[in-house]
Amino acid sequence: MGHPQVNFRKTPELGSAREARLINSLVVIAYILPIALILGPFCIFFVVSFGRVEASAVVIDFNLSNYVRILADSTVRMVIGRTLVIGIATALVCTLVGFPAAYLMKILGPTRRSLLMVAFAVPLLMSYVIKIYTVRNLLGTNGVINHFLMASGLVSQPLEFFTLSYYGVFLTLTSVLLPFAVFPIFLSLDRIPASLVEAAADLGASRTRIFWTVIFPLSLSGVAVSLTFTFVLAIGDFITPELVGGPNGFTLGRIIFSQFGLGFNWPFGAALSIFMMMIVTVALALATRIRPPGKVTF
Amino acid sequence: MKSARSTVVVLCAVTALILAVLYGPILMAIVTAFVPMRGGVFQWDQVSIVAFESINGDIVDALKLTLIVGFVASTIALAISTGIALYCAPGAGLGRKFIEFLIFLPFVMPPIITGLALLISFREADVPRSLLTVLVGHVTILLAIAYRTIVTRLREMGASLVEASLDLGASRLQTFWWVVLPNLRPALMASFVLCFALSFDETMVTLLLTGGQSTFPVRLWGMMRLGFSPSISALVVYILAVSTVLSLFLIRLFVPARSKAVA
Repeated sequence: MGHPQVNFRKTPELGSAREARLINSLVVIAYILPIALILGPFCIFFVVSFGRVEASAVVIDFNLSNYVRILADSTVRMVIGRTLVIGIATALVCTLVGFPAAYLMKILGPTRRSLLMVAFAVPLLMSYVIKIYTVRNLLGTNGVINHFLMASGLVSQPLEFFTLSYYGVFLTLTSVLLPFAVFPIFLSLDRIPASLVEAAADLGASRTRIFWTVIFPLSLSGVAVSLTFTFVLAIGDFITPELVGGPNGFTLGRIIFSQFGLGFNWPFGAALSIFMMMIVTVALALATRIRPPGKVTF
Repeated sequence: MKSARSTVVVLCAVTALILAVLYGPILMAIVTAFVPMRGGVFQWDQVSIVAFESINGDIVDALKLTLIVGFVASTIALAISTGIALYCAPGAGLGRKFIEFLIFLPFVMPPIITGLALLISFREADVPRSLLTVLVGHVTILLAIAYRTIVTRLREMGASLVEASLDLGASRLQTFWWVVLPNLRPALMASFVLCFALSFDETMVTLLLTGGQSTFPVRLWGMMRLGFSPSISALVVYILAVSTVLSLFLIRLFVPARSKAVA
């Protein structure tokens, strides 16, 4: 009667040496790859930010001059300020406008909801450059919008708001990043248990009251994700300002990009990037503070 | 709870506005693919498909390259993140938390930073920019997405299935092959599609890491800096078709189970 047991015991024993090796290699992969692909490059990046360019070569002598320049150079300061304004404005507009759309998605029936989801997902999956290109078609002094406004006699001069400038960057980012606001907010709305809303309704709360005391606070996690997503993507972008910023629409991302191209000042570009990382970190830290009052678990 | 009629009207209006903003430019580009424009005015009497014929072989090559990079990068990212997820799924310990932090870092930070960090590292290591560096960049970016999807599924599965399999005498390898992997399949498929879509569209990192050969977004970037061209409008038509199919597919993969529980 003991025969099958012998067999059973044998299998794991046979496999154990091979398995031990397999599991060890798994641990090695788990540690080495993220360190080599992510931690290493970020550390090197950090070190380079303390260097300088001498005779078109990067010399690393651990000086702070790049960081001093960020704080001292008024042009850089202005660009950083404008980038922050664009980022905050984009995040706020996307979230404010995205919320109602997410809410509609939540209350629709299954079929219409899926259709709406597809409608928001298609632009999300479309090539980013192509989307910006299509928006750029409309902008500009001679762009379709200004052309239309002038031809219809609504304005006599092309509106600056629709030109290739800071405004153009803001408009393009807002239109491109809108789906990034809708989906996180929808997911948080979708997670709210129907029982909570029903309980509030049974207890006689008005619709407005249910929204502001139950639904909105519980959707704040999604709002936070929406704000950070759109903000981080907006300030980190260099493709949009490069394509629709015109000659003056410089943003932080665009200056960083230029340091690695024509500007050829890698250490300064690295220092600006570290600065950008700090901004992103602060934004993420602030976002974790957006949450419903009290502890909610379900 | 049913929403008031007036609320629904307002919600619909805002949503319609968003869709107009999202699709207006795209539709505009599609029209310009068929109808030439001169001085901001459509020439309706010159409708043609000339723009489609002007798409040259260069773009097709770039497209092929992008598909290859997307396929290879997604496969590698999936394999690596499955390995890491198997190790990290229990979630305990500082080391595991640290790995998770590292994997999510390129996802949380703007892509330009990841791209530049890799660019500088490759240069320090004397690795010339090529398709290989692009591939490494893509894998780095995709790890977070793939890892997240797989580890979520692994945690949902719970330990009991694996324990049952081991108790019944299967080796760990057998358990992985016959129990874990089949359970992971939907998650693997979903994250492959997602990774592929992201890789296909990835421009910022690619632009920084690319050598001679340019992928599709990089090629488009080059074309666009030169200005307006009808062949780009023609490409918009193709891309819209592809992304529609892709998003239908993705929503099917991710949504069906949840959407039935509508209040």
